[in-house]
Amino acid sequence: MSLWRWGVSMRRHCASSGSAANALRRGDWRALSGPAKDKEPLKKPNTPRGRFDQTEKADDVLQKFPDDINPVTKEKGGPRGPEPTRYGDWERKGRCVDF
Amino acid sequence: MASVRAASRLLSKRTLFKSKAISTQYPVVDHEFDAVVVGAGGAGLRAAFGLSEAGFNTACVTKLFPTRSHTVAAQGGINAALGNMEEDDWRWHFYDTVKGSDWLGDQDAIHYMTEQAPAAVVELENFGMPFSRTEDGKIYQRAFGGQSLKYGKGGQAHRCCCVADRTGHSLLHTLYGRSLRYDTSYFVEYFALDLLMENGECKGVIALCMEDGSIHRFRANNTVIATGGYGRTYFSCTSAHTSTGDGNAMVTRAGLPCQDLEFVQFHPTGIYGAGCLITEGCRGEGGILINSEGERFMERYAPNAKDLASRDVVSRSMTIEIREGRGVGPDKDHVYLQLHHLPPQQLAARLPGISETAMIFAGVDVTKEPIPVLPTVHYNMGGIPTNYKGQVITHENGKDKVVPGLYACGEAASASVHGANRLGANSLLDLVVFGRACALTIAEEHKPGEKLSPLKPNAGEESVSNLDKLRYANGSLRTSEIRLNMQKTMQAHAAVFRTGAVLKEGCNKMDAIYTTLEDIKTFDRGIVWNTDLVETLELQNLMLNAVQTIHSAEQRKESRGAHAREDFKDRIDEYDYSKPLQGQEKKTFDQHWRKHTLSYVDPKSGKVTLEYRPVIDNSLDEQDCAHVPPAIRSY
Repeated sequence: MSLWRWGVSMRRHCASSGSAANALRRGDWRALSGPAKDKEPLKKPNTPRGRFDQTEKADDVLQKFPDDINPVTKEKGGPRGPEPTRYGDWERKGRCVDF
Repeated sequence: MASVRAASRLLSKRTLFKSKAISTQYPVVDHEFDAVVVGAGGAGLRAAFGLSEAGFNTACVTKLFPTRSHTVAAQGGINAALGNMEEDDWRWHFYDTVKGSDWLGDQDAIHYMTEQAPAAVVELENFGMPFSRTEDGKIYQRAFGGQSLKYGKGGQAHRCCCVADRTGHSLLHTLYGRSLRYDTSYFVEYFALDLLMENGECKGVIALCMEDGSIHRFRANNTVIATGGYGRTYFSCTSAHTSTGDGNAMVTRAGLPCQDLEFVQFHPTGIYGAGCLITEGCRGEGGILINSEGERFMERYAPNAKDLASRDVVSRSMTIEIREGRGVGPDKDHVYLQLHHLPPQQLAARLPGISETAMIFAGVDVTKEPIPVLPTVHYNMGGIPTNYKGQVITHENGKDKVVPGLYACGEAASASVHGANRLGANSLLDLVVFGRACALTIAEEHKPGEKLSPLKPNAGEESVSNLDKLRYANGSLRTSEIRLNMQKTMQAHAAVFRTGAVLKEGCNKMDAIYTTLEDIKTFDRGIVWNTDLVETLELQNLMLNAVQTIHSAEQRKESRGAHAREDFKDRIDEYDYSKPLQGQEKKTFDQHWRKHTLSYVDPKSGKVTLEYRPVIDNSLDEQDCAHVPPAIRSY
């Protein structure tokens, strides 16, 4: 009887700690492995590809700086590619945005 | 106080007053707030949460979701004299802005903006805006927008703070996120129709809910207008399709003036049809402009500088070529920018991404075909006249008079910090400083939970009857046809190239197009999400802005800043500042042009009346920052 009581109290203790233990108790085997790492992978959407849809290597025209730090000006978190104000306006990819 | 706030919120959210007095066909809902902000771009959001932070029960009425406002397109930066890259002083920024405005800017407003600039940028950074940093962790500043040190004598200043290349986007998201901390009530996709004015005081706004077609009246002691510019009056503009000058039109219909609408900033090379701008670097790297005969026409207009001449010379030359019939395309209304004579590797190295831009927006392969371009509008310096605190003013008996209950900020307002020409990176600063200024002024002069002044039960019925008339309009011209006529007329007559004859012809044509609004035809008779109706309302607003712009331009017989006339090439001030002032006689107010234009329109006939108001030349504190006396502007 004391063993049973010990079992109950252990179970109660386990119930409050750790979802894997809860999962075992409920019989939910899938949740045992934790978050959805090894469920089946998400299906890719089947939408048709447009003429201008970006491929995976999008925006490779303007390379990202290593660590996002511009090697010449040492600016951290600044715009990618050549300096936007080099022609007197704000230029990016040939487009000018004058604000 | 908290219980008053809670009670008024209860009133506004739960009680539905079906107001029989104004309409039996449209359900009308009345709301009561302490303050209403119309527009949720950079300036509108800053004003809205500034008011909520001060404890006011605020409503934000906007026709777009806040993060879709046109502020999101701004990629550049914000100017502020933080002094992170070199020693800097806001008084030098003040001098640069006054000079840039060609001495048409009000120096007290410019003093206020440049003095508050460092505090405003630091405040944004504290809200979480991720500015780019130097190695020491300070905000990185770059050279942009005609900024100098030591009142123009110390070389280039580095004042522009940015967030990678998406400053406007980041600003808007930061402000929106911050505003959700306070309990501002957002009314998204509500189209503001008119101001509720009584005895010259503004008592609120009436708006159409686009989702279900109900009419909402927002009663408040304080109304802030932050609706943005009106680029869409022109055929070629960089602004969103929603930049229709709704705030300017609402103020005009209320009988109040708009200021300096003839000052519209153009950029020479905008892509035909799309409206995106091609950088001047294209011409800097060797690109040339050609007309229908394949001639490099800039050689005729600027024999030395050729395609590298200054922006206004290039824009005017392009316009003259088009006017003389040497334009390209089926309508012969634009010119070509040719880049395919340059080696493709050089183009890709110096201007990365341009082939992508040209393909997406113009549909051309930049290594084989030229890009179609024409001068494009991208900013409106003019707008609703305000003082430096953000209160809307009108001019009576030679003095500025505040309109009680009405405020304006952002591109819709003309404070006027940009004067005749806006410097790059000053407009984002203008948004946050004056948005905050409106909130502070309201907090100073009013208390939350103040009793609302009584309003006539049928206030706003003209707006509803106008709405009804447009919804069932059955004339012969479609909204899109009238809009295209207006845009083409404005592009041909009130664009960069302005002379007396061209402007006069344009004025006559615009007056005729204004009367064709009576003959409009709409197709959608429903009330739920009726975009035909909303576009027609926007067209009415655009038309009011357009007639004021062209009439003001026709009357202003001088060249100043962005308004350049071929027949009056010089600036006409009270003294001739190119010669020493000794011995010169001061011209009287009606003989010179260093004054603000105030334009009124009679909405029924479309007749424009113009008055003038003097420029404010003294700064807020002459001891701290002396005003800049006018001089000839040369860079």
